[in-house]
Amino acid sequence: MNQPIGTATLLRCPPGTSIQDVGRVAGAVHGIPSSGAMDQLSLCWANHLLQNSEQAAGIECAQPGLKISFNQPTVLSFAGATVQVFLNEAPLPQSSLISIDSGDVIEIGAFLTGARLYICIAGGFETVTYLNSRSADNSLSQLAPCGKGTGLPYPLLVNSFNWTARPKWSSNWYESPELIAYPGPDWELLSSAQQAAFCEGTFHLSKNSDRMGIQLEELFENTIPDLPTNPVFPGMLQLSPGGKLILLMRDAGVTGGYPRIVNLTEDAISKISQKRAGDPIHFQLKITKH
Amino acid sequence: MQLAYLAYLKQNWGDELKDCRQGFTRISLIWKSAAAQNHFSESLTSLELIFLPLSGKVWEIPVCYEPEFGSDLSSLAGEKKMTAAALINLHTQPYYRIHFFGFLPGFFYLNGLDPILHTPRKSIPSARVPKGSVAIGGSQTGIYPKESPGGWHLLGQTPLSLFDSLQEPPVWGSAGDQIKFVSIDSTQFRDWKGIQPCLQYP
Repeated sequence: MNQPIGTATLLRCPPGTSIQDVGRVAGAVHGIPSSGAMDQLSLCWANHLLQNSEQAAGIECAQPGLKISFNQPTVLSFAGATVQVFLNEAPLPQSSLISIDSGDVIEIGAFLTGARLYICIAGGFETVTYLNSRSADNSLSQLAPCGKGTGLPYPLLVNSFNWTARPKWSSNWYESPELIAYPGPDWELLSSAQQAAFCEGTFHLSKNSDRMGIQLEELFENTIPDLPTNPVFPGMLQLSPGGKLILLMRDAGVTGGYPRIVNLTEDAISKISQKRAGDPIHFQLKITKH
Repeated sequence: MQLAYLAYLKQNWGDELKDCRQGFTRISLIWKSAAAQNHFSESLTSLELIFLPLSGKVWEIPVCYEPEFGSDLSSLAGEKKMTAAALINLHTQPYYRIHFFGFLPGFFYLNGLDPILHTPRKSIPSARVPKGSVAIGGSQTGIYPKESPGGWHLLGQTPLSLFDSLQEPPVWGSAGDQIKFVSIDSTQFRDWKGIQPCLQYP
């Protein structure tokens, strides 16, 4: 492991800012959620541009206002939401790679498209790990949450990082409302009329959305009786007794008692993570043949 | 039964499994490779389970059932047409078995709540249930390991810690162990030393 000697200090830290990587497995036996970046595609792309390992941690940012100073030269990579970026108060042209000198200050302005920005750094942030992951979880007391004044260690640049291109991720992959899903463990408990209504329906994201779950605006008739508590995973859409559709996300508990009607694909989880309250979605259900 | 399945899976397929989650009627497996998953599916016709003896461990959990710690106890007793003392007695009588952990880190699902105490969850969940709250929801009873929103009826609170990620393992109990609640008063609650329950060997 590289000796971390740079520190990125959060001068301003809006709510919804956290350290995330691909998350942790093996904690479920004690009820520990998997956590990890909501949009793992974007996190992986940002790490890929820097030639980081797949396990490298970045910053997930869901609101404008984040301001970070760096005390050692490095390279940053951005993916996910398209945002205004200021380097030492001067607006930067859109680019997914940004070179940083000692003392530089980066500030995140308005979100132009998408809902979550990923900021990765050459070598990855080297905060404390638990079960091989640095992903934030407020039950894990060794992982300090991000706040104003938090210092995030990062390694020195090993080789000079040469590039001439100004790569820029497209954001059109998360524009369409189509989400690919598979029938969930309790899909068969819906009547065929309900199944058809679900497949034809257009739904909208509500304001009640966080890293635990995304609630949809529309109510859906629920006639399924109480079910025993059973395992759940990020990307499962649950139907509450009141007819609310709740898509479980990365910080959701590992078990749940509501009917689990469909499972989103990993790509669809990333896609919906970039959608905002009010955005329409439509589930494209793939029925596997036995 | 679930424990026997889990032991079988861990022993025979542990190297191929990435993650394993347990519920009351389902075990969900995430495989490292599709080949291992197919191999497992094909093997299911010849699966032979060896039932394991259940754990003999009983953890004694102190609970203060006084009104400042269990805000819903008196209304629940009223609803059940019994005294608070009778309700506490029904709640502290059984040996509950830990089935699995879920909902929050360190929250264990228990089996064994007296049917008289089965109570539908609150229609409007409380925004803030205090850490250590001992509560009833539906046919379940359990302890909130940290402050969280919750829809269960609060009977009391334990001074013990349910989850500490600085410890290895982060919980003291395991699936299969039993739990016995013991009533304590508020002075004992405030003076409680230690974060682990007592272990009884019956």
